[in-house]
Amino acid sequence: MVNYGGDEVSALVVDIGSSSVRAGYAGDDTPKAIIPTSYGYIPKLPDTDVDMSDSTQENAPQAENSRFAKIFVGQNGPSVWRSGMEIGNPIVEGLIHDFAPIKPLIDHALSKVMLINPSEHPILVTEPTWNTPANRERMAEIMFEEFNVPAFYIANTGVLNAFAAGKGSALVIDIGQSMASVTPVVDGFVLRKGLSYSPLPKLVHAHARHLLTSPTQIRRGIDLLPHQLIASKAVVDANALPQFTIREDRIAGTTQKWRNWAETREVDEWLQTIAGVLDQGWNDQQAASKPSRQYEFPTGYNTFFGAERFLVGEQYFTHNPQLVASNPNLPKTLPALITEALRACDPELRQVLMGNVVLTGGGSLFSGLADRLSAELTRTFPHTKIHAPGNPIERRYGGWLGGSILASLGTFHQLWISREEWQEHGKAIVGQRCK
Amino acid sequence: MAISAADVRSALSIPEGNATAGPSQPKKHLPQNARKPDGISRELYSLIGPSAPSLAAQLAKPRLKQKPNFGGGTAKTRWELRPFKNGARQDNLELWHWEKVTSDPPTEYAFAKYNTQSTTYIYSQDEYTRFLDDKEWTKEETDYLFSVVQDYDSRWYIIYDRYDFPGGPTRSLEDLKDRYYSVCRKLVRNRPWAGDEASKAQLISSFQFDKEREMTRKKYIISLENRTPDQIAEEEALYIEVKRLEHNERKFKKERESLLRTLAGIDSGLPDIVEDDGTQMGISNEKTTTKGATTKKKGGQPTDVDSPATPSVASTPALKRPSTTKNAVYDATHCIIRTEPPTSGVATKAAHQPAYLRSFKLPTPKAAIAPKITQALAELGISHSRLVMPTRENTAQLEALLDATTALIETKRVMDKVEYDIQVLKNRLGMREASQAATDVEMKQENTGDAEGSNFGETGGENEDGEDGRAQSVMSARSARNRKHPRRSVSVSSVDTASTRAGVKRQKKN
Repeated sequence: MVNYGGDEVSALVVDIGSSSVRAGYAGDDTPKAIIPTSYGYIPKLPDTDVDMSDSTQENAPQAENSRFAKIFVGQNGPSVWRSGMEIGNPIVEGLIHDFAPIKPLIDHALSKVMLINPSEHPILVTEPTWNTPANRERMAEIMFEEFNVPAFYIANTGVLNAFAAGKGSALVIDIGQSMASVTPVVDGFVLRKGLSYSPLPKLVHAHARHLLTSPTQIRRGIDLLPHQLIASKAVVDANALPQFTIREDRIAGTTQKWRNWAETREVDEWLQTIAGVLDQGWNDQQAASKPSRQYEFPTGYNTFFGAERFLVGEQYFTHNPQLVASNPNLPKTLPALITEALRACDPELRQVLMGNVVLTGGGSLFSGLADRLSAELTRTFPHTKIHAPGNPIERRYGGWLGGSILASLGTFHQLWISREEWQEHGKAIVGQRCK
Repeated sequence: MAISAADVRSALSIPEGNATAGPSQPKKHLPQNARKPDGISRELYSLIGPSAPSLAAQLAKPRLKQKPNFGGGTAKTRWELRPFKNGARQDNLELWHWEKVTSDPPTEYAFAKYNTQSTTYIYSQDEYTRFLDDKEWTKEETDYLFSVVQDYDSRWYIIYDRYDFPGGPTRSLEDLKDRYYSVCRKLVRNRPWAGDEASKAQLISSFQFDKEREMTRKKYIISLENRTPDQIAEEEALYIEVKRLEHNERKFKKERESLLRTLAGIDSGLPDIVEDDGTQMGISNEKTTTKGATTKKKGGQPTDVDSPATPSVASTPALKRPSTTKNAVYDATHCIIRTEPPTSGVATKAAHQPAYLRSFKLPTPKAAIAPKITQALAELGISHSRLVMPTRENTAQLEALLDATTALIETKRVMDKVEYDIQVLKNRLGMREASQAATDVEMKQENTGDAEGSNFGETGGENEDGEDGRAQSVMSARSARNRKHPRRSVSVSSVDTASTRAGVKRQKKN
């Protein structure tokens, strides 16, 4: 036990991302609880909500909880259709924007899924590199004041992803559901000046949605009705009009937010199943030579997608000139992010970082992305070495895994912010301890 | 053939029991004294006797592998969930972990020892004003720098990343390093030092930092990165080209060496040559020199073995001369003649000219005419194979003599042949004249043929200077073609040992 430098104190690791909240014991290789970050809620009647929404930060927990008449979290939260249920997501651009549902989410993961009492375990929480000091202090507050944890630590996902790859220094390329970031990590510390990030996956998603819903020469715009709203459907030929019956009883109770969330899921499903990116840059011939693939939507409509499915992935690497002309504030592409990150780093470090590129995040599982990235990087940096775990669990939960490694180390236990320290020093201790 | 009693009995079918008086009888009782092997009961052993050792071995108690002890013998290892305190922590946080239950007193947390602190330098206001004042830096900023360095344990990339002094100018990584190390150096230098000077100097040198050099280095790294793909490609192409050239050079050298080895053998001065006395060297030694010592010659002229070496080139063997006395006077008194090493050549091992015996440089006559030369010299009472005093002059003279003799013998042989041809042709002509009348036309042809023949004689003579055997054969072929043309008057005297080459030519022209 001591040989490996590990000393397990049954610590918990909680990793909150845009798409899911991961929680589990430190020392495990997979999180025990994985629940969607999106939650369903039924809002309280507006008349009681008015004065509560602008309440001060101090009284926030009680005030914000009262915003929801009911909240539905977990696997059976947002995905189950409920009449009048709205969908919310506390994460905006990787940061926790709304702390109200955070407690129910964590509580669900720990108490309902893992069936443990959080007050008995030290908890390590992750944060993105661009997290604000106020946010991490708020998180510490929630942990100490609401979950009564004995000890708390907040660690950077960039560093944790590097640790999960077994590296102290790395260039971490993290592609999540909503954000893509490039973080240089040196000796277990993030170089904040070298950080670059953009909501690139959002753009890819929007592009895919546009591609599916807008009509083309060979097909009409695709209806992205989720299966929760479809009573029955018939088998139809490819490109034929779908024959299905809508659950009319649910249409009235379906909120716009839920509908939007469900359609987003359909687009994501399509992206993960069909879409891809070419290995060696865009090439019309090569794209045309790839086999087209069939995909069926919940309505029963099915069609073949040829070159267009590769057009979507191209958004990660290059922007359409027309799009650039029409929209000057496009999120930066992956090569741009990497270049920007490297330019901010010391020239001496660039070689080290490019030899230790870590590709992680669920978005990086996009078909062909790792190969394309490797090809792009090798063109500029001949000695690039990309560490991209083949195991999807490691790729998706790299941040959690790194936290699991970190919190199970014997030498780490001196870093915990204890309840005693929290009470003595207050919020300042967070910034002081978690560098 | 010896036939035992038992054989006779068995052949005659006489039962064995009759032969009781054999000497083997008491032997049967002997093994009873032997110890009963393990694994057989006493009763069984008395029945079967000692005649079943293989069976006894089988009956021996099987030795089984020792049963593993699954902790049954010792007390059970008990683990307990215990609270522990980390000595590296300032507070009283108690975490729980599983521990082996032992009777030992509770020890310090095993991982607390890894909490090491790097030594930091703290300076007083007084020290700052006396030694550390710098117009570029305020004391506040220096304090801040030191606190950041301590926070991040001298990880400079991180320090540079996190360094943010409000109101301060932007600092480069080199600025920070330079300031920190210079402050440390000054503090160490100006403070009383308990240890010896060497350790102090070592400590100061560990704080050495050359800002300019670091910045130049960084600049180089950047320029290395900013190469265009074309430049990189060109660089790589050049690199490959250099590698190729080097390879060719190596190959060429190897071929040259192997050529040298084949042509010159031990004389090439190359290492790793096994001296073979029985072949080439041994034979030439027999004929040319009396001293069979192994000598070496200049590797730069490997083909000199076959051609006579010029005496002027030959150098005296410099045997154990003191290297300090290299002046001309010393050389003159000791008869040392120095040869300059070739300046144009490359200073390789192959080009090295080792010391050699001068006598070894004597030319070897061609094997075909060697006996004749020996004979000719013997007429003069000279033994060319043994030079009593092979000084430089003597060697040169002997060489000239051998040269002349060789030329003479060659000429003589040619003349013999021509003479014989003439003889044959004359005989033929006589036969022809006898059979038919000679005409004037034929006489004319004879004249032209003669002119041609004398021309050939000239060229043949010239070629002989180079001892070219081929020219000789060409000439003989020509003479064979001219055989039908009779020579009018060629008088050849018998071999005159005193005659020189010029004399031969003169005779020929006549």
